[in-house]
Amino acid sequence: MAALKASNFEPATWWVLGICLAFASGMTSNPLILISTIAFCVAVILIAREPAPWSQSLKFYLGLSAFILLTRVAFRIVFNYSAPADDTLLQLPALEINLGLGGSISMLGNVSAASLGAAFADGLRLSAIILSIGLANTLANPRKLLKSTPAALYEIASAISVAINLAPQLIESLQRVRRARSLRGRSKGLGALAGTVIPVLEDTIDHSLALAASMDARGFGRRGTMSRFEQTLARLMSLGSLLATSMAIYLFLVNGQLQLLALALGLLAVAFAAIAVRITSRKSNRTRLIKANWQSQDFAVMAFGGVAIFGAIMHWWLP
Amino acid sequence: MKTSALSKVIIGAAGLTSLLMFTWPLFIGSTAANEAVVAQTAFILLMPMILVLILVEFATGGIDSRHLAILGVLTALNAVVRMLGAGTAGVETAFFIIIISASVFGSGFGFLLGTTSLLVSALLSGGVGPWLPFQMMAAGLIGLGAGFIPKPKRRWLLLTALIGYATISSFIYGGLMTMWNWPFLAGIGSSVSYAAGEGVGANILRFINYELLTGGLIWDLGRAITTSVLILVTAPALLATLNRAANRAGFEKL
Amino acid sequence: MVALIKIADVSFSYKASDSPNLNRVNLQIESGEFVLVCGPTGSGKSTLLKVINGLAPHFTGGKFKGSIKLDEIEIASKLPHELSDKIGFVNQQPESAFVADTVIDELAYGLEQLGVAPAEMRVRIEQIAAQLGIEKLLHQPLGFLSGGQQQRVAIAAALAAGQKVLLLDEPTSALDPQAALEIVKTLKRLSSELGITVLLAEHRIERVVEQVDSVIVVHGDGSVTKGAAREQFNDYRMVPPVIELSQKLELLPLATTAAEARNGIGERLFEIRPRLPIAENAAKDWALKINELSVRYQDEIALQPFTATVNQAQITAIMGPNGSGKTSLLWALQGSGLRSTGTAITPWGDCASMPTDERLSVVAMVPQKASDLLFLNSLALELEESDRFAKVSPATTASLFEKLAGRIDPAIHPRDLSSGQQLALVLAIQLVKGAKILLLDEPTRGLDYAAKQQLADQLIKLRQMGKCIVLASHDVEFVALVADEVIQLAAGQMVFSGKTEIALGAESDLATQVAQICNQPGLLTVAQVVLS
Repeated sequence: MAALKASNFEPATWWVLGICLAFASGMTSNPLILISTIAFCVAVILIAREPAPWSQSLKFYLGLSAFILLTRVAFRIVFNYSAPADDTLLQLPALEINLGLGGSISMLGNVSAASLGAAFADGLRLSAIILSIGLANTLANPRKLLKSTPAALYEIASAISVAINLAPQLIESLQRVRRARSLRGRSKGLGALAGTVIPVLEDTIDHSLALAASMDARGFGRRGTMSRFEQTLARLMSLGSLLATSMAIYLFLVNGQLQLLALALGLLAVAFAAIAVRITSRKSNRTRLIKANWQSQDFAVMAFGGVAIFGAIMHWWLP
Repeated sequence: MKTSALSKVIIGAAGLTSLLMFTWPLFIGSTAANEAVVAQTAFILLMPMILVLILVEFATGGIDSRHLAILGVLTALNAVVRMLGAGTAGVETAFFIIIISASVFGSGFGFLLGTTSLLVSALLSGGVGPWLPFQMMAAGLIGLGAGFIPKPKRRWLLLTALIGYATISSFIYGGLMTMWNWPFLAGIGSSVSYAAGEGVGANILRFINYELLTGGLIWDLGRAITTSVLILVTAPALLATLNRAANRAGFEKL
Repeated sequence: MVALIKIADVSFSYKASDSPNLNRVNLQIESGEFVLVCGPTGSGKSTLLKVINGLAPHFTGGKFKGSIKLDEIEIASKLPHELSDKIGFVNQQPESAFVADTVIDELAYGLEQLGVAPAEMRVRIEQIAAQLGIEKLLHQPLGFLSGGQQQRVAIAAALAAGQKVLLLDEPTSALDPQAALEIVKTLKRLSSELGITVLLAEHRIERVVEQVDSVIVVHGDGSVTKGAAREQFNDYRMVPPVIELSQKLELLPLATTAAEARNGIGERLFEIRPRLPIAENAAKDWALKINELSVRYQDEIALQPFTATVNQAQITAIMGPNGSGKTSLLWALQGSGLRSTGTAITPWGDCASMPTDERLSVVAMVPQKASDLLFLNSLALELEESDRFAKVSPATTASLFEKLAGRIDPAIHPRDLSSGQQLALVLAIQLVKGAKILLLDEPTRGLDYAAKQQLADQLIKLRQMGKCIVLASHDVEFVALVADEVIQLAAGQMVFSGKTEIALGAESDLATQVAQICNQPGLLTVAQVVLS
């Protein structure tokens, strides 16, 4: 097995792991499991990350998580929750505020240990979700990921990679134009904004037309075969997926009784969406120089994510 | 762009489904209170799926290399401008370019620009998180709506329409994103949390109280003001530039 | 030989109302031919290329009529991507046409679109990279490459799928002369060794004329002719000094290269007139005293301590390759740029310590991209804004602009002006407050021969008004047209300062074409030659 370094794995692997962990954390409120998930994410990031620009945001994710944890707990203290009286931890003066909207709002008052604990667990859960997504974002190379998007999304992925390649150049042009503006005598205030953005935008548009010409002259836009039937089928699948999603949401949240049916509908929605994307991907007969190369270590990491989800579902189902 | 009726239905259904994922705390039933957390987690996965379905729909209909190239450069410009504005409270520079471009290139383009702009600026500044698909969808819907702004011949009328839309959509965007993190931050049980089974009206009042007490509305106001001022200052020039580009390259609206 | 491309009765106009850019054009181009396409800016050189691969009208809009056959197959109504496996296209600025972020991905792009299998793709990429000498760069990010390397990658990308026709739209315009020469030689090799048909649009004829097999001239009135270089250039105006001189001397056959011209002229000595008119303000008061001025960014020295005095009513050219410190020097002189040590003072004060408003009445500067300063929707609005901002009476800028560029429709969008007209507009805006010193950074970039001559006339007019003009340029022929004095920089250090006649004379590395041919002291430009 290759060394545990981010680039030895397919970028999609990290996203599968991150999403699985995020989902699993979302389903539990056990502080121990959540804390170990957070610790696991931080450890994997620290071990596997490499000196790439997208790998430097661990501090941001940790800071944000801490902030959310504190906010969550603070909110629980400030906005009074109907706390049982027997384990009161803090006795604060109760406050009633009426903003004239839907009755009075009670604030502060007695704060119980149990409610603080629940708030803490809630905050931990969101932190764990954030760090799981953070793990994926920190370890997956976005450029490489864009190259393995399904063919159905090829156009959008091209636009995004154009934007990523172009952004640094644009920063340079903005600086250049801003400097040039000072020659004409005004470089401050809102009026200067148009003077800076417009020349850059004009250049950018010229640039985009040149780029479009170059893309087309090199074959962009050649279509493969996708019959009318296939196209309609793909659209019906999309529509089916959306309807199943809405129904699942309704059954799960509004009705609240038919959870198993809701779950089944949710899975059906995902399956329909996958089929729609799969069919639409046939519209192109492009090839890729570098294909996703799934190795055993990728499957191992993804299987780990799958186990986490399985565990979470079992834990939730069998309390 | 030639959109088939089916395609419009799909986009409409996707829009509504995604709104459901933002606004569920308003009409959640009393029997589902315990499952809300699980549902919310599932939405973090389902929202990207809806996004993909809409993007696929737009990508199959009439998009050509010119649309893509201009989408790419406007996305980059938007991401860069957004990074310049980031850090100052309430200053949101992401929306004026989306709204103005959508009014020139059409609502489909607006949706695409909204989603790609938020995605690329998150990729460039390390802001990818569970909130991102929701931000992308909200910004996409704002771009989609901006394509329907009427285009009166008189310039001041058009400017008024754009600024009016910018103000409303700033609050809508803020409202949607606050509603997304409302259950996360306020939890259940307080007088400013959502209350399962109390109905839409009561929950809207609770939400407004939450917005007022946590200062969320001030951010939204800041966003509305900056977007409006930016439109006022840049729209005449931006509109002229984009229209010129559209004519020059023989663009079809998307 | 059979013609590979047959263009029959082709007409094209961008708008139905316009007079056609191409009018009933008939051309035949043979397989493996290397063809130069030339003509003034806006004449339709690039339109001619674009109709061949369908970019016009499909990407530009406009009306097309006629027939184009490639290998006996009609291609006139095809879309660009339908022709992408047969015709490669390379744009003016490679960096704006790159789709990927590394060289190998860029080369793979076209092959991926065509659906070539990955294994075959690798073989083709290796072959084409070897042919263009970029095999060592395959895994480099495109942004790290030099301009010449980027252009090679663009050519390789256009030919990777085995295209037999290559269209290039001014591919050397952003390159310095050395890199441009290498690109042109590569193209020559592609056409003679691999049999690739190359159509090259270029206005700097001197860079390519020695290599090409034939010349197409797009005349600007819709007519297009093709023939050997010496027939085509007999009475054509937009030519480099070598050919201009041969035309003036009526050499027969027409000399198109320096060597031919030297043979034709032999040991003749010419009567010569002065290069520049005598400045009325001949007292030569000083305008800038520069003392030990240096510029240093962090650990990089852009300009070594620099001392010089520049006079009023004088044009000084700062010459040197890219990165030699020319731009840093200009910005430091202007006052808002960094000055690490030393001073630069004017009789009207020190620019660095003036508020912006006041500075504008002393020193004006035109940056490398003049259009960076233009942001309004019409010429009229730009001119009004300038009057208002400079607090001068209405139409002052407009009349100054008219003096420089002639009368132009005020409703036109500034971006639709030609590069030369944009430059004149920025000059007018910058000079409206009566600045005595004018700084220009690479003003001839993108200008054709006519526009350069026009700019030269404008600058000499300003010189006659007593302005002190300092311009940074590596355009030898242009400097010969305008400059009294030359300062040469290399790697941030002044290596020469003196008369233009010496800097660009026959003995110098920077000799003008006329100096190389005639080798006569004091003779630099064609206009100086007096015919008896």
